[in-house]
Amino acid sequence: MTNPTDEPDPVPPVDLVDHVLRVNGLGKLFGKLTGAAIEGTGPERGTAKHAATNTVVAAWDVSFDVSPGEAIGLIGESGSGKSTVMRCLAGDLEPTCGVATMRRRDGSIADLFEMTAAERRALRVSDLSIVYQDPAEGLDLSITAGGNIAEPLAAVGFRHFGEIRERAASLLERTEVPIGRMDDLVREFSGGMRQRVQLAKALANQPVFVLFDEPTTGLDASVAAGVLDLIRDLLDELGIAAVVVSHDFGVIDMLTTRCLVMHHGRVVEQGLTDQLFEDPIHPYSQRLVAAARA
Amino acid sequence: MTPILRVRALLKHFVVHNVDGRTVEGLCGVDLDVHAGEHVALAGSSGAGKSSLLKCVYRTYLATAGSIELQVSSGNVVDITTLTDREMVLLRGRELGYVSQFLRAEPRRTPMEIVSHAAVFRGIDASDAPEAAAAALTRLQLDESLWDVYASVLSGGEKQRVNLAAGTVAPPRLLLLDEPVSALDPANRDAALAMIEDLTGLGVAVLAVFHDIDAMSRLATTVALMDAGRVVRTGPPSAVLPELTGVAR
Amino acid sequence: MTVVPEVESVECIRPTPWTVDALVGPARAQTVLDDDAKREIRRAVLTAVAIPGYQVPFGSREMPVARGWGSGGLQITLALAGSADCVKVIDQGDDDGVNAVNLRRLVTRATGATETSEVDEATLVQTRHRIPEDDLADGQVLILQVPVPEPLRGVERDMRELRRMHAEADYAKMWVSLYEDKVRNGVITQSTGYPCLVNDRYVVATTPIPRWDVPRLNHAPFLSLFGAGREKRIYAIPPDTAVVPMTFDDVPFEVEHTPGARCDRCDTDDTYLVAVPGGIGERWVCSDTSRCRRHRTRPSRIAAVTS
Repeated sequence: MTNPTDEPDPVPPVDLVDHVLRVNGLGKLFGKLTGAAIEGTGPERGTAKHAATNTVVAAWDVSFDVSPGEAIGLIGESGSGKSTVMRCLAGDLEPTCGVATMRRRDGSIADLFEMTAAERRALRVSDLSIVYQDPAEGLDLSITAGGNIAEPLAAVGFRHFGEIRERAASLLERTEVPIGRMDDLVREFSGGMRQRVQLAKALANQPVFVLFDEPTTGLDASVAAGVLDLIRDLLDELGIAAVVVSHDFGVIDMLTTRCLVMHHGRVVEQGLTDQLFEDPIHPYSQRLVAAARA
Repeated sequence: MTPILRVRALLKHFVVHNVDGRTVEGLCGVDLDVHAGEHVALAGSSGAGKSSLLKCVYRTYLATAGSIELQVSSGNVVDITTLTDREMVLLRGRELGYVSQFLRAEPRRTPMEIVSHAAVFRGIDASDAPEAAAAALTRLQLDESLWDVYASVLSGGEKQRVNLAAGTVAPPRLLLLDEPVSALDPANRDAALAMIEDLTGLGVAVLAVFHDIDAMSRLATTVALMDAGRVVRTGPPSAVLPELTGVAR
Repeated sequence: MTVVPEVESVECIRPTPWTVDALVGPARAQTVLDDDAKREIRRAVLTAVAIPGYQVPFGSREMPVARGWGSGGLQITLALAGSADCVKVIDQGDDDGVNAVNLRRLVTRATGATETSEVDEATLVQTRHRIPEDDLADGQVLILQVPVPEPLRGVERDMRELRRMHAEADYAKMWVSLYEDKVRNGVITQSTGYPCLVNDRYVVATTPIPRWDVPRLNHAPFLSLFGAGREKRIYAIPPDTAVVPMTFDDVPFEVEHTPGARCDRCDTDDTYLVAVPGGIGERWVCSDTSRCRRHRTRPSRIAAVTS
């Protein structure tokens, strides 16, 4: 259908697929929620803490969505609020306001902040996984690698020892953990190996969504590179939607197609990852990119 | 016939906050059309805005003002400057391709992985992707022994051919090329140029930046001469190219 | 000034035979558990029966036995038994062990119930470590003494988390510990107190009975009550309730069995046998003494050897 005039066709030409995660107006305050606290904090004020009321506006007015198979980045320096956002989505922190909805594997919509703690836990077993910066937070160091993976499997009803072993072994193989170490205590693993076990555990029940919190921070460079490649390959192969939180541009660049820049608790810029790196608009984004390039 | 790409009054300024907040002008009002099967070559001295124009179309740069209309496969026309990020991601996958001057691929990916991944991104089935990738790499005469090594160990010319293969494995509706053969030796350059020539034969619309006058005269159906952020002259190669002075690098 | 009573003859001070009864006088019916306590325990028992496998907290009283020696089971028996009841008490299958005898005496004196060593005569059977080999019937009550009522104690220490796990039937950590056990040892090594799923809802510790007795709880015709005095919990398995030991689908639940072992006294091999300490070679006898007595076909060879 050709348009005789110069006006573009108003109908969106591309398919708008359903979101897997939609976050609207997420906010988290430590202290009293007042208009003054909101006005008195943020990038323009240069702080996230409202001195007068001793309130920290850790995150405010954060909105974004994630489509199936898409990986979104959350960049910022420490104190930017990116970890706060992640913890609210993970269920480790209760937000002050905002709505987050997620489409589960069975197609139903979960209203994350309105669910009971039990429902949240069930969600984390089967639909939403988190990979923490510190593997010790996501793993039990006193049991074996296979045992750590057995937990989410048992939680969804696996009762066959052989099947549990098989699935755990195949996950560990996929995350490049030597099979011979499946029965070693996680405590005996190096940092990079622990992270791989955490990845295997996170994928155990084929989640539709994974949150990565600084997945390679703290690892040696070569080890981090291997883990990063693995995450990239897994995201491609499994078509999982993800939010990747990091202060490292290399990580964001490799894993995400769109990202948000956070500063003092607010989102200062949101765009395509390559656009953010090559044509940052907001002054803070420009500073961040310049520093990363240095 | 509706052009595949229609750029009108495109403005791009950069506000450099970290220096002194100064404004750098990139594009100062560009009008340009590219039709199906057409190869439009952008010529001009460096700093004229050629790469910036490509990047604005691909939305690596956010246009300051103006419109960039793309006619997509369904026949609808969209304005790239008004699309959401998500819509742009989908557009890039299916309708729009970009071959950058430098291979910005991750160092630990092999040519086969890079080109297969590009094929899947373009909508080719994952099971068919390796075959399509193999065909593209062969067309660019990249030795099969190099298909499974990390891209970081390849020479500049080899990297550029991988880049080109990734950009053309399943030709998009509009292909943006930024100095696609600058690092190639004569033999490989010829093969690459032949491949690009074939694309226009398939109906692909091509917008390319070249510094090589020979390449432009061979491939281009139209040459657009840029200067100081504007297109100052368009016409067939025979008409425009003689006006270029000292631009070949 | 203290008055010293006159002693008339030495014979009066020295009673025969020397027994506790003779020294302190005959035992009166003691009120070990007052009526309020009995009421509370009965209520706890009813709650437990209404929610099979759920650990009901109760106000555990001080008993004349030390904590950890059956005070929980004792409190249930004292709350339920009356003069119409007949009580059998065993300890590790034996009616005649010191603990069993003391508890039985305490119960009969405090409640007026009669006593027996035969299962089919008893209305209430209190036990430590065994279920009697002779099956109890509908209408009989088995009361088990429990040291540790919490089956998840090995995998979680936090009280709130334990409550949550039971409330949400989230037993994943228990499954992981069974997995680790099998990986480390080739088999699941849990012997007494094997964790079982009751009524398809709560996991209980069947402590302290051996694996041998666990299958007999499944859809049993009798009521089982579990009392933990020190931990202050009562739980119950009503008659005809499903009791399934926690094990993987491909790891069958096995009971203790030594091939070739037979009871030295009654020559059966299909009861729970225990090894005879000392003696020559490996000797086995029935753990359940009263059942053994009834099945005996030849005189004790142990007596002959040691005499």
